Amino acid sequence: MALVSADSRIAELLSELHQLIKQTQEERSRSEHNLINIQKTHERMQTENKISPYFRTKLRSLYTTAKADAEAECNILRRALDKIAEIKSLLEERRIAAKIAGLYNDSEPPRKTMRRGVLMTLLQQSAMTLPLWIGKPGDKPPPLCGAIPASGDYVAKPGDKVAARVKAVDGDEQWILAEVVSYSHATNKYEVDDIDEEGKERHTLSRRRIIPLPQWKANPETDPEALFQKDQLVLALYPQTTCFYRALIHTPPQRPQDDYSVLFEDTSYADGYSPPLNVAQSGTLPSA
Amino acid sequence: MSELKDCPLQFHDFKSVDHLKVCPRYTAVLARSEDDGIGIEELDTLQLELETLLSSASRRLRVLEAETQILTDWQDKKGDRRFLKLGRDHELGAPAKHGKPKKQKLEGKAGHGPGPGPGRPKSKNLQSKIQEYEFTDDPIDVPRIPKNDAPNRFWASVEPYCADITSEEVRTLEELLKPPEDEAEHYKIPPLGKHYSQRWAQEDLLEEQKDGARAAAVADKKKGIMGPLTELDTKDVDALLKKSEAQHEQPEDGCPFGPLTQRLLQALVEENIISPMEDSPIPDVSGKESGADGASTSPRNQNKPFRLAKEEVNRQELRQRVRMADNEVMDAFRKIMAARQKKRTPTKKEKDQAWKTLKERESILKLLDG
Repeated sequence: MALVSADSRIAELLSELHQLIKQTQEERSRSEHNLINIQKTHERMQTENKISPYFRTKLRSLYTTAKADAEAECNILRRALDKIAEIKSLLEERRIAAKIAGLYNDSEPPRKTMRRGVLMTLLQQSAMTLPLWIGKPGDKPPPLCGAIPASGDYVAKPGDKVAARVKAVDGDEQWILAEVVSYSHATNKYEVDDIDEEGKERHTLSRRRIIPLPQWKANPETDPEALFQKDQLVLALYPQTTCFYRALIHTPPQRPQDDYSVLFEDTSYADGYSPPLNVAQSGTLPSA
Repeated sequence: MSELKDCPLQFHDFKSVDHLKVCPRYTAVLARSEDDGIGIEELDTLQLELETLLSSASRRLRVLEAETQILTDWQDKKGDRRFLKLGRDHELGAPAKHGKPKKQKLEGKAGHGPGPGPGRPKSKNLQSKIQEYEFTDDPIDVPRIPKNDAPNRFWASVEPYCADITSEEVRTLEELLKPPEDEAEHYKIPPLGKHYSQRWAQEDLLEEQKDGARAAAVADKKKGIMGPLTELDTKDVDALLKKSEAQHEQPEDGCPFGPLTQRLLQALVEENIISPMEDSPIPDVSGKESGADGASTSPRNQNKPFRLAKEEVNRQELRQRVRMADNEVMDAFRKIMAARQKKRTPTKKEKDQAWKTLKERESILKLLDG
């Protein structure tokens, strides 16, 4: 069965990951030695108050070694992160396969509708583990990293999370968090499922009503230009809900794991805006 | 030896992330053996920790690259540091200024002067900051004394006018002066051609003939099975016919220029732009008129530049000889000076030589002036 082979593959990948992690640490302890040397040289240069050509060349060679070490370390770390992403995508595939298999097998919905709290925890976790974009020197952040919008011809894949503008029964339009089921090139329409209640009627929407969620977090330390700036208008996921509302950015995140602080448009407040609330990078989209 | 304050490096603290504190899951996984392996539920935390490690490693890499770049640039730029020194002294007003320039010179040699002493640690930080600032400016505007370029540029621009005449240029002048002979040919008036009304009548006849032929061909084609391709062919043929006829017509007229120009002239005449030429079509006349005004055609004027050029060449030769004579005089002078230095009277030989060269020079100069 496909599910079983997926399991064994996942097990394989996990052990490969373990290897990579061990290698990473070896690399890091090796380069540690060189870094200590650099530190010592710095101290000597600073106390002696002179910089002889001897020191300069020595420092240069130390720096070069350190550079090579850092590059090697980066490479291994990237491979490890890629491995994790691979495992995750396999898990995701497995989940979707299980969902489809489940739908056909049971007459009842495969899972009882999740309790609110569980759903929220899941959402929070997936927001946290959105991969961080760490570019090599000279790389620019790609589309769907942080605030960078998707390219014009981008098509979301099944399983991707998107914000979908659906019409409620009473005619109101709302942006909800949804998961893509399929896309039809012929009609240019997506089929999406509301994240909240699976098994509910799925929506078929044209491309213009779909905004894909970011696939990477932007790193404020290296790519601040890929973040939304103060007072920019965005669509943000309201905390503890699965709906997006218009909001203004209050402060962008300072560290990679930080959230945006935003002000939601809210007529129940005097100035029309809510107090600052935290929204993860994965829940902040450019306003349509 | 350069001082610490000159160093533009920032001496970053390159400590790597202490993974024991910051990445507990990572550490735990490391400790485990292969059999225990990693659980799926640990993936998320691992991911976060690895990302932290990676981002600190990339940052370290970037800083290292920047620092090595500064270090390389700095080593390459030692020559300009004198200006930076001056700039810095200006800013700081340090007392021991005279000590520094000396150190600069000694830098290249093996020995090293004493450092400014440890009594400057406080100002060190400030200085290193200023130094960094100046160094960042360096690649952009090196404070070299801007060379006064103007005289060079002036002489360069005037050069073409003052340069010696080469024999090539004389030859070019000669060739330019030759054309007067060729022009004589052009003045010949070609014989009268056919009057335009007659020629046009003829052409019209030919047109009608062609049309008739074409109509016949079309009629033929319609009978035949040929398609549109052959229409094109006949058109090509017609074009060729026309061309050949046009060419054929020329000898009749005895005029080297086509019928179009004739018609053009006639139109121009009718519009009173050109005065009528009594039916002798010389289309080139308009061109000639404008050309004639440009250059002066009198024989005297033609030859003047040529003569001047020749004269100038001679003068140049003389000037060359003067220069050589100058050199000889200088040599003689130097010899006498050397003799005087050695505290002996110059020999008769040397004196004679000196006089001789002087007299030569004077004679050449007289020739030149004459």
